[in-house]
This record gives sequence, structure tokens and C-alpha cells, in this order.
Amino acid sequence: MPNSAQLETFTAGVETAVDVAQIERQLRELWQLAAESEKDPSQRQITRACLFNFVVLCETDAEASHATEVVSTLTSHHPCRAIVLSAVSDAAQSELSASISAHCHLAGTGQKQVCCEQIAIHATGQSVAHLGSAVLPLLESDLPTVVWWPGNFLNRLDLFRRLVAVADRVIYDTSMWSDPQPQLARLAQVITEHPRCSFTDLSWTRLELWQKLAAEFFDESHCRAELTHIRAVDVVYGSGPGAGVRALLYGSWVAAQLGWPVAEARANIHLSASDDRDTTSVGMLSVAIKTDDAVFSVRKNHGERVASATIDMPNACGLPRKRAFWPTDDASLLSQELDHPGRHPVYEKALAMAVAVLETGSG
Amino acid sequence: MDTQNTLATNPLREGIDARQAPEPCALVIFGATGDLTHRKLVPALYNLAHEGQLPQSFAIVGFARRPKTHDQFRAELRESVAQFSRFQPINPAVWDALAQAIFYHQSEFADANGYKSLGEFLQKLDAERGTAGNRLFYLATAPTEFIGIIQQLGANDLAQADRTHGAPPRIIVEKPFGRSLSTAQELNHELSSVFGERQIFRIDHYLGKETVQNIVALRFANEIFEPLWNQKYVDHIQITVAESLGVEDRGGYYDKSGALRDMVQNHMMQLLSLVAMEPPTVLEGEAIHDEKVKVLRAIRPIKPDQVQQFTVRGQYARGSMAGKPVPAYHEEKNVAPGSRTETFVALKLFIDNWRWAGVPFYLRHGKRLPKGVAEIAIQFNAPPAVLFAAESSAPLQPNALVLRIQPDEGIAIRMNAKVPGNAINLQPVKMDFRYGGSFGTRSPEAYERLLHDAIISDSTLFTRRDEVERSWQIIDAIIEGWDTAPAPFPYESGSWGPTEADEFIQRDNREWRRP
Repeated sequence: MPNSAQLETFTAGVETAVDVAQIERQLRELWQLAAESEKDPSQRQITRACLFNFVVLCETDAEASHATEVVSTLTSHHPCRAIVLSAVSDAAQSELSASISAHCHLAGTGQKQVCCEQIAIHATGQSVAHLGSAVLPLLESDLPTVVWWPGNFLNRLDLFRRLVAVADRVIYDTSMWSDPQPQLARLAQVITEHPRCSFTDLSWTRLELWQKLAAEFFDESHCRAELTHIRAVDVVYGSGPGAGVRALLYGSWVAAQLGWPVAEARANIHLSASDDRDTTSVGMLSVAIKTDDAVFSVRKNHGERVASATIDMPNACGLPRKRAFWPTDDASLLSQELDHPGRHPVYEKALAMAVAVLETGSG
Repeated sequence: MDTQNTLATNPLREGIDARQAPEPCALVIFGATGDLTHRKLVPALYNLAHEGQLPQSFAIVGFARRPKTHDQFRAELRESVAQFSRFQPINPAVWDALAQAIFYHQSEFADANGYKSLGEFLQKLDAERGTAGNRLFYLATAPTEFIGIIQQLGANDLAQADRTHGAPPRIIVEKPFGRSLSTAQELNHELSSVFGERQIFRIDHYLGKETVQNIVALRFANEIFEPLWNQKYVDHIQITVAESLGVEDRGGYYDKSGALRDMVQNHMMQLLSLVAMEPPTVLEGEAIHDEKVKVLRAIRPIKPDQVQQFTVRGQYARGSMAGKPVPAYHEEKNVAPGSRTETFVALKLFIDNWRWAGVPFYLRHGKRLPKGVAEIAIQFNAPPAVLFAAESSAPLQPNALVLRIQPDEGIAIRMNAKVPGNAINLQPVKMDFRYGGSFGTRSPEAYERLLHDAIISDSTLFTRRDEVERSWQIIDAIIEGWDTAPAPFPYESGSWGPTEADEFIQRDNREWRRP
């Protein structure tokens, strides 16, 4: 049975080594001790909260360390049981070790802390093959399981298939894949093969403000008629990882939502990389949706975390709208996505269109 | 509601946001220099701007008596937003864009010329800011100004739809909506002579609270609760809205109003009707209003000669709050000497329909109670004790489902569990769901939701004329009875009300909860 000093260490976020087979028992005893401490008003008041299982698959120690930081931030808004897996296959020795810790946050204005547990499992060499069997018993029953794969799961399909079998959702970031465009077809195929799992690309999440501003143009009744007359979607993107794939997804989104045939999409979507070498010119830079009579523009303001939307059209209100971008660090993007559970059919349609456009282009 | 329609016409909306971007609009706030505007309305508008939920073409026009420039008004509002917005610190880009849409219009409320020039100014904004003739008026003044402003809006053609724009102007009316059935009817009459019912939005900010909206979700999105939600399984329901504050600087207003008018007629009757209503056919304004008003109509009126049987009223005396002495109500500023105004009220109501026949609804509200809390507790029947009577010394506690509205919003279920050990001892335990702990995000302020809904003409979370009038009908009869009843019972500040309130519920072999 752990003592109060161990509870203090655990809730302070310090990792405590534990035998893999003893993880559940150790956690149960720590939480029981916390519940007993709650009766003593002089003790710290702690509540455990858990809404889902959050499994993170890391392929390097640096990734695992980053994942722990992300989990620490994320749990303040999305309480979960975090299971951070490090799968270092290329190590000479085979090892499987585990540790537990907690991430605690003050709840509201009170003194009560809401805590979430993190289980870290480190596997090297041959032990990586056994990671799946270590994870499954640790999943909280009756709660959804979200897998965050910071790297490229297409390179680890063996492990991926074991995790996706129990996952309700897989989150990944094609912007961080090296040369993602040729891999989109394979990604789309994997998504089709797993209809009960929701797939979320953080590249898509980064496009949300761009999409929202474009959609708002056409909420207004006097602009709506222009939707059927769009003849070009010009997307300019800058430097930074994944900017090109995001521009492609964006153009494909417009095409898929408007029901364009692939050939029309290929003809109307114009993607161009900016020559601007300014360090602030990263990611998407501008979008212009053009009809015969109007141009609907969204532009990232130079050096600012703000986008402006304008309409150039006779008798239209031409006042620019400004909207701040969400932060694009991993914790913020994940938090944004976890607020919206369920499949992303619009993303899947856009991805299918992107794949079709690429295939037609290469053919 | 409108989502399907929006998707049919704007395919780019799909999957982005269920809520439609509002049409262009100009919001005119009467009483723009008052507390409500500064503490609630403009911070809520800033929050909406921050979330990108204001119309693309939008303008706020503050209408008030004091002379002021646009820039002075903007600077004052910025300070308020910095203090009261839930997004801290202020995002300069968002504020600057919103500030450009803020204007000030100085006029007396009774001056017809002020309304003529307001109309001209709004037309200018239509041209310059694209607000397209779509108007929303907000009455945030003292209630004594309401009728005069409504009449002026009518007389100066500001309540009519612009020729080039389909949406008729809407008006939001703050509480108190009258102080009796007759004054509410008079206000309704004045409103309906100028605006159609669909143009009128009677605000009850409780309905904008996330947890109040969650009552409908809890009841109708969970199959396990609704089958038990009736007279077969529910023993009684307690609705408590407790305040730790006294009347503060509202003594003059409160002394003419009292607890029953101030809280029960509006907020608590709305909570009651949401808890007790039948499932609406659709989640739309009219359908929900229809079900709520059916509940209000089914409430058995308390006749004037029954007030001592079904009500208790109290008035706070001296006492202490958080370790500090506090004065009695009659010692507060602007309270009339010898005032008989109640600061505490407890009611027992019955809803005479199939679902609730014989189930008492206890409503309790008071000022200077030990803590500020609002909750609805559904107390279920006690289980038959035959199995555990011999083994357990204490009687079994009935199950309770508690919906906490504020603070610490959440839902708790009390159930009985066996205490570990060889003996069969039972102890009530609480299963507790807290919004803050589970979702971690701060809920939008009630005014954010309500302002947004008024801008897009969705009246679901507002009260309809028949709801207000039926509610006043019930309240009026009680007030009539109190006129000839003994004075309110004094209770010590910092206590849970007069001892007579405890005796009142104990006569039914029940106890008040201690929230």
C-alpha cells in the first residue's frame, strides 16, 4: 500500500517506476489513499477525472518527452487516462518498463484539484512487439479510446493495426510526415478499411479558420448565388512543414463540397508556393475564390496571427472581417479536435478528392 | 433547426459549425451607460466576436442620456471588457475590429427627435457598414422607461421592417417584466401594438445558462432517467436558489419588489417548467414554449386564503456572513422603515397533470443565506426497507438526483452502498459529475448565448407572452394573500431561513436539503 509521501510524489507529476503487471493495482491504491485524504480538511483535496483513454504512440524518447508535456496541458481541459508508449525498435536490448504519474489542475475557483493519471510504457527491441498486450488491459472500460500518433503510422502498420482495433479515433498530422502527398492514397485506403474508427488529421484542423471564413461569405443571402459560379480557387502557401499538403486539402475541400467532377477540380484549383522567404510566411498565406463578378479573399495578415476576409463584389459589404488564428501547438490542436468527437466525413471527402486530383495529375 | 436549410444552400458550412453565421445587424442598446451594458452585454458581445459569432456586418449603437463621444464610449467599454470578459487578456485585433463597430447616440428616452436622428443614423450605418436595415433593440434601462421607449420606436417607424430587408426589427426586454399580471399585460399590450410576438424577446438570463439547457439534454437524451420522471417514482422536487448577498445597493428597487417577484416569478418558474414539462415534439422555440406553458397552466393556484398553508416568507435580520456582522434588511439603504418586503420565500406547488399528480414541488429562495447556490433536487421515493431494516440502524436514504446550476455546475446522484465490513451497514454515497472537472472549458456566459440567439431570431431560450402572464397569475394570488397575512418571519443573516420554513416542510415529513 503506498504512503502519503508516494501520493504526494505521484500527484506532483513525478514519474514513479512500476512493474507493468502492477500498474492497475498501484493506481487503484494511490487513488484510494487520495480519497481517504479527502476526509481530512488539512490535506490537499483531489478528485480523479477521466473521460476517455488517450494513447500516444511515440517512436523516440524525445517524442515521448514532448507527449508528456502535451498531456500535462491537455488534461486541464480534457481529463483522460493517458498511456504514453515509447516504441524504440532499433535498440539492441529488449526491455519493457513502466512508470506512473499524475497531472493535477486546480478546478475552478476552489482549492480542489482535478487529477488525471499518466502511464508511460517504454519498449525497446523485441519488446515493441508486445506493446499491444501491455496496453489493452490498461484501457478504462466504457470510455472511448483516442490514439494520437505524432509520427507516420503508415510506417508502422503492424503496431497501428493492433491499436486501431481498440481505437475509436486516431489523430495524426500529415504536415509532420516527410513528403506526405504521395502517401495520401494509402492513407485514404486505411481510413476506408476502418469504418468504425474516426480519423483526424491535424493538418485539417489547422485549416478550420480558413474554412470558416470562406463558409461565412456564403451564409449571407446576397452572396449565396455566387456559389454556383465559382471558376477558380487560388491558394497561395508559404514555407514550413506541410504547407503544400494543407493547400491541396483546402482546394480539394472546396471542390468536394461544391460537387465538382475531378477534371473540373483540377482545372479550377490553383496552388502556388510563395517566393516570399520571410520567416513569417509559413503555412497557408491566402485564398481567393473567384467568380465572374466577385472575389472572396482570405488572407493571413503579414506578421500577425490574424486572418482578414474581404469581398470584392458590386453592392456587397466590403468591410474586412478579422479573426485570430487558434494557436497551432500540438496541445491546442488536439484540444480543439477533442471538443468535436465523431467522424469527419467532410475531411474524408476532401481527402478522396485530393487523391483523385493527384492521380489525374500524375496520369 | 436552421442547420439543414443552411447546408442545403451553403455546402461549405457542412461540418464546420452547426450554427449559422448571423445576417448583418445593428444592435441598439437603450441604457448604454448602465451597469448591465458594461458588465454583461458588451463583454458578451466581445466574447461572441472573439468566437467569430457576430455578423460580418455589425454595429452596436449605445443610446443614453449622458453626453459622450463615440471614442469616449468605446474607451469606457474597453475597460469593462478588460474586466468582465471571460477571455483574458483582451485580443487587440478582435477588440479593435469590434470597437470600429461601436457608436454612441445621445438622447433623452422621451425625446422624439432623438429617435428620428437614431433612425437617420441607422440608415447611415446601413450604407457604411452594411447592416442592411436589420435592427435589434435592447431595453437595458430602468423598467419605468420601457413603455415610453416602445412607444417612441413605434411612433418613429423604427419597429417596421426596412423596405429592402425582410427581417423585421426585434426587441429584447430585460427583467422585470412587469410587477403584477396587470402591469405585465400592459407592457405586453404596448409591445404588441408596436411589435409582433415573433419580434419580442423577453429575456430570462437563467435560460442562457449551460446547465439549465442541460436539463433538457439530461432528461431526453438519457433513457435511464425519463421513465422514473413522474409521480410513480418521485417523492418530491426541491428547487433552491440561495443568495449569500443582501440587497446591496438595490434597496429602493427591491423593497418594492421582494423575493417572490424578483426571483420566483421568472427564474424559478422557468426552472420548474423545464423540469416538469413533457418532451417537445422538436427542439424548437415554439414547441418548447408550448410544453412549458402547459406546465404553468397545470400548476394548482394558491388561493389568497391558502398562503399560510402553502407559503412561508421571511426577512433577514442582523447576523454574520463569512465572519463579519451584517445589518438587517430594514437597516439597508433605501429600504422603508417597517418594510414588510420578503427576502425569503418558500412555496409548495402542485402540478395537476398525470405525470406529477400529488408530487409537491418545493421552491425556496432567499437572500443572506449561508451560500450562493442554485440547484434542482429530484428526490425519489424511499425504497422498501424490508431487506435491510433489521441489519441497519439508520433508515434508508431515498435516492436523489441533483442538478447543480451554480456554482460548480454538475449533476450528482445519491445512492445507498454497503459500508465495507462484515456487518450490513448502508451509507448514502454520492456519484458526482462536475462540468468543470469533466469538460474543463468555461461555459459561455448566459448573455452570450441569448444575444446570439436574438441576433439570429431564435426565441427558444426566451419567454413567451403566455408563460409570463400565467406565471404572474400564480404570483399575484400569493401576493394578495400576503397582504392580509402576518409580516414575514425574521431570520438571522447567514442561516438557511426562518425556522417556520423548516416547520413548513417538516409538516409533510420531509426536510430541506442543505446544498
